[in-house]
Amino acid sequence: MSTTDQTDVLQTIRDELAAIKVPGAQEATPETTWADLDVDSLDLVELVKALEDRYEVQIADGELKKIESVGDAIALVESLRS
Amino acid sequence: MSRPDGCALVTGGTRGIGLAIAERLRADGLTVATLARSGGDVRADVADAGAVAAAFAEVRERFGPVLVLVNNAGVTRDGLAIRMPLDDWRTVLDTNLTGAFTCTKQGLEDMLKARWGRIVNVSSVVAERANPGQANYVAAKAGLLGYTRTVAKEMGKRGITCNAVTPGVIETEMTAGVADDLKAAVPAGRLGRPEEVAHAVAFLCGEQAAYVNGATLAVDGGLGA
Repeated sequence: MSTTDQTDVLQTIRDELAAIKVPGAQEATPETTWADLDVDSLDLVELVKALEDRYEVQIADGELKKIESVGDAIALVESLRS
Repeated sequence: MSRPDGCALVTGGTRGIGLAIAERLRADGLTVATLARSGGDVRADVADAGAVAAAFAEVRERFGPVLVLVNNAGVTRDGLAIRMPLDDWRTVLDTNLTGAFTCTKQGLEDMLKARWGRIVNVSSVVAERANPGQANYVAAKAGLLGYTRTVAKEMGKRGITCNAVTPGVIETEMTAGVADDLKAAVPAGRLGRPEEVAHAVAFLCGEQAAYVNGATLAVDGGLGA
């Protein structure tokens, strides 16, 4: 996946978190963790659904539990698309 | 926030309490779809997750997103626990408890997108007591109350409520055989009517019940008090 794609995933994550009213969503970087954003399990489920729909990937529950940051989510989408 | 466009789905909505609920919600101005094994707007056995998924897809297509869900479908297979066939246990749990879980999962997809939803689970007065001969039914209906409270907490911050009603002895085909024996124990001195349960369900489905979440509302003439 190219840098452009990674930027696109990052922006999708920001937009989706903003849509579910997570404070600071638009300032998130790959280093930002869910804990930093106070993202809870339901927020994460909604985020993953949005990523699945947009990038046409399936994220297993086991994978979902492993991602702890924005960067993890970007890397996961990247691995599933390649 | 007022109710977005969508429909109300009532499982087991073709007879008894479910029919009364469907009629009441329709009278309240909601678009109502009924799901049943036979005769409903869409057909499915709620114990069959695949059939439920297909039925929800059909409901969305014909009636819009499911923003109100009444999990009412239920069966009985009575008998003392010691003699109860495992199949009878499973049939009642699969329909009355797992069926509600399966339908709720489907409904939540639509409700989450809308940031609005109402789920009402039809439990029973026996859920918080005991009823010899109905170990399977009581277990399922008690499980439904715990499930209700948990979904309420999980979804509360998204404008979705999940509540339960516990009907007492209501005049329906299901209670035709047992009604007379129990009537004497009801403080109200009479059996309940399906419309009386429907009234409680309609209240919980309303916009003004937005702050009622995880509650169990008894509609039993005082039987469970």
